[in-house]
Amino acid sequence: MEENFIMQFLNWLASFETKELVAAASCIGAGLAMIAGIGPGIGQGFAAGKGAEAVSVNEKASKQTTMVMLLGAAVAETSGILALVVALILLYGNPLMSTEGVSIIIAASAIGAGLSMIAGIGPGIGQGYAAGKSTESVGRRPKLQSSVVRTMFLGQAVAQTTGIYALIIALVLMFANPLIKMVM
Amino acid sequence: MEPITGKALVLACSAIGAGLAMIAGIGPGIGQGYAAGKGAEGVGRQPEAQGDIVRTMLLGAAVAETTGIYGLIIALILLFANPLVGLLG
Repeated sequence: MEENFIMQFLNWLASFETKELVAAASCIGAGLAMIAGIGPGIGQGFAAGKGAEAVSVNEKASKQTTMVMLLGAAVAETSGILALVVALILLYGNPLMSTEGVSIIIAASAIGAGLSMIAGIGPGIGQGYAAGKSTESVGRRPKLQSSVVRTMFLGQAVAQTTGIYALIIALVLMFANPLIKMVM
Repeated sequence: MEPITGKALVLACSAIGAGLAMIAGIGPGIGQGYAAGKGAEGVGRQPEAQGDIVRTMLLGAAVAETTGIYGLIIALILLFANPLVGLLG
């Protein structure tokens, strides 16, 4: 094989011990996973803005609107927490560090697990939007709080699904990786 | 350490690719959340139409879900039934 840039890069990667390479890739993976934090940040910010707006429109219902805002923001937080859990697993309880196999596959699995969790941006933004709109509605008609919150939770549960899929793929890559066994 | 073989490279790229595929989950997450928000707004405005509003919201959310499921399918194929590894012989 000719010595082009990619081959030089791969040979350079191959010059490291398996553990070194996997540890480096896990660091990148942990950082990538935390990109998911963008989602809850935007979503909860939207909810907070709508909460402030609702209180300014209907000051009497400020306690109710604040509670709905916090409930919705708590749900929007979940995908950020899931990403944090994956990053912490990669850092402190990394199952790939003790996995036997070809080093580059294990290292790439760590990066893949982190990349997968970036999907958490979506549920975070979406659920935050739902929380904001619910806060707005409760501020306008506080009597309808229970049915508005029920609809919000139902929609947020659907919005969470893709985040759960991403978590499943990340966990498969870390704990039950079929690719590592394919070369041995 | 042994040099990286072609098969190992393909499998390594499959792992990264499976992770990349799941980024598609961003879209349904945002879109369904938007639908949920508008659904909650609608129920707040016309609570007597709650059943219809929720049904429409779930129908739209199901359509929005499809691309997320496509991403999941590709990730699962890359992990468990990778056709490219077989091509290497």
